[in-house]
Amino acid sequence: MGHHGGVGTRILAVEDDERIRSAVKLALEEEGWIVDEAESGEAAIELFHRTPPDVVLIDIMLPGMDGFELCRTLRRTSDVPVVMVTARNDTHDVVAGLEAGADDYLTKPFAPKELSARIRALLRRIRPSINGQHQRLSFGDLELIPDEGKVLRDGTELHLTKTEFRLLCELAESPGKVLSREALLDKVWGYDYFGDGRLVDVHVRRLRTKVEADPANPRHVVTVRGLGYRLQT
Amino acid sequence: MRRRILLTFLLGSVALALFLALTTYGLTKSNLIQQRIDSSVRTSLSNAQDVGRELRSNPASTQSAQDSLRDNGVQDYLIWSDDEWTAGSPSTMDPASLPPDLASQVIDDGEAASQIARVGDQLGIVVGWNVRNVGAYFEFFNLDEAEATLSSVRLSLVFAGLVSILLGFLLGVFAARRAVKPVATAAQAASSIAGGRLDTRLETSDDPDLRILTESFNDMAEALQQRVERDARFASDVSHELRSPLMTLAASVEVMEARRDEMPERAQAALDLLSSDVVRFQGLVEDLLEISRFDAGAIRLHLEELLAAEFVRQAVAVSSLPTTPIHVSERAEHALIRGDRRRLARVIANLIDNARAYGGGEPEISITMVDDPEDPVTHLQIAVEDRGPGIPPDERDLVFERFARGGGAGRRTGSEGAGLGLALVDEHVRMHGGRVWVEDRPDGESGARFVIELMAMELDE
Repeated sequence: MGHHGGVGTRILAVEDDERIRSAVKLALEEEGWIVDEAESGEAAIELFHRTPPDVVLIDIMLPGMDGFELCRTLRRTSDVPVVMVTARNDTHDVVAGLEAGADDYLTKPFAPKELSARIRALLRRIRPSINGQHQRLSFGDLELIPDEGKVLRDGTELHLTKTEFRLLCELAESPGKVLSREALLDKVWGYDYFGDGRLVDVHVRRLRTKVEADPANPRHVVTVRGLGYRLQT
Repeated sequence: MRRRILLTFLLGSVALALFLALTTYGLTKSNLIQQRIDSSVRTSLSNAQDVGRELRSNPASTQSAQDSLRDNGVQDYLIWSDDEWTAGSPSTMDPASLPPDLASQVIDDGEAASQIARVGDQLGIVVGWNVRNVGAYFEFFNLDEAEATLSSVRLSLVFAGLVSILLGFLLGVFAARRAVKPVATAAQAASSIAGGRLDTRLETSDDPDLRILTESFNDMAEALQQRVERDARFASDVSHELRSPLMTLAASVEVMEARRDEMPERAQAALDLLSSDVVRFQGLVEDLLEISRFDAGAIRLHLEELLAAEFVRQAVAVSSLPTTPIHVSERAEHALIRGDRRRLARVIANLIDNARAYGGGEPEISITMVDDPEDPVTHLQIAVEDRGPGIPPDERDLVFERFARGGGAGRRTGSEGAGLGLALVDEHVRMHGGRVWVEDRPDGESGARFVIELMAMELDE
């Protein structure tokens, strides 16, 4: 048991290059995580169902089913945090990975320490409550129960990923107030000033498809041009 | 080339105008005179017949012939009868003015003849008829009228000639411009290619002569573009291929670092060397990829408005020397720049790395506004000053070249090669529409001062 990772936290690493996979597994185990390996998307899905992991690490360039497809497949049934590994940090791969449902991304070659930091940020538990116990927050037709991790729209429960839920909670903490991309990057992903604003933008887009009645004309999660985002009733 | 075409056209039009004018004049002149001769011959023939009739019916005197001629309005004549001359009155003609060979031809040989001659002070046609058995009749027709016509023809020909020379000149200007145009277009395209727009091509032309030029130009551009792209792709492919082994290296080194304490001392020293060079290697591959993206024109900036001073503070905080002092002028404190946050942070980080490697310890950063009332656009300067040996003036451009280590011996002290750091600074700053250069420290001490100048806006506060 290492000194950094969570107790028994299980990571599924999907990577076709055997040497990279082995080295990353070694390094992550050194950090205290339990690591399962898969060399293809198909193998990953099977393993995912047999031994459900807490975090999935997916290399985009996989033979057969690629990383985007794998991520979309997992997202259909699970809100497990996903970190994508891209070969390039150009717009296309990053945004496509985030659109496919990834929570964060890293560019090869990354330091496993950096990966650990990203995973820890994603697994960070939502603060026990925003203000008091078992609070229910209402925003028009939206209802937010932070402690239970639930969001309801018109009484129906919505399925949000952990990151989407955290993003919504951060916005809900100061309703009506504008939060900048940098502030959200810091609060939700644990990034400094130089985090990638596209993380916020793509997640807000995905959040809107779930919480907004008409995602093209958002009423709750509103963009304030040049400043950031705001939650309103 | 242009001047030669113009000159050719001008000389050609002068020659053509001259030729046309001269032939036209010559033809008109001979035509007019011939007409005049013909009409003179006709008129004088009928007059000669009248004279013959009168003389035959009244051989003693020429008076009746004179009366008849006067009735016809004829004055300029001579009648030769009974070895005596009779002249019209008033007449420009007198027997002495008659060309002798014409007189002898008509009187002695009994022929009809005409001749252009000067009678008195007038030029004209003298026609002579032998009036059978009674004498001869001569009449003079002046050419004044023809002369007047000819002079007006001359005038209009001179005018037409001048107009056509002018037209020739204008045509020459036009032709010269047209002839030079493809060359100018090609020159423009060539400089556009030299400026980095490798996909520049010339429009294909219908003109077969020009087609040779455009086709070979376009072939050349195509070959050049392929070659440049192949080179750029090669650098990019190599860097991509290096990523996977680097990933393995980085992860493995990290495992070893975690177990460093369990290693013997010599292995620890070797591990430290290994891990620091893996980091360096990683940086180099990143730089290579970034610069090959520049070469491929694949860089897209994520522009946003940044508070310059705040941005620099943040960038310095994540650099290799996070405690670098930053001096911000009062005006610059509220200045906004438009930039790609992460790329500009690389610029600051690279300049700090450069100062650390070559600049003798911790540098200092200052941010100031450029005070130039002439310039409508406000600019901001971020300067990184070090305390190294400085850079001699003739090497100041070279330091921004790829893999250029600082030239002067003193600048080789760093163990790390300058690599691509400053070349990337140059590319990034230019991409942001700014400039970067290196100069001496303004306080006269030894050291280099790298200055980035970017467009800025001042917040009204």
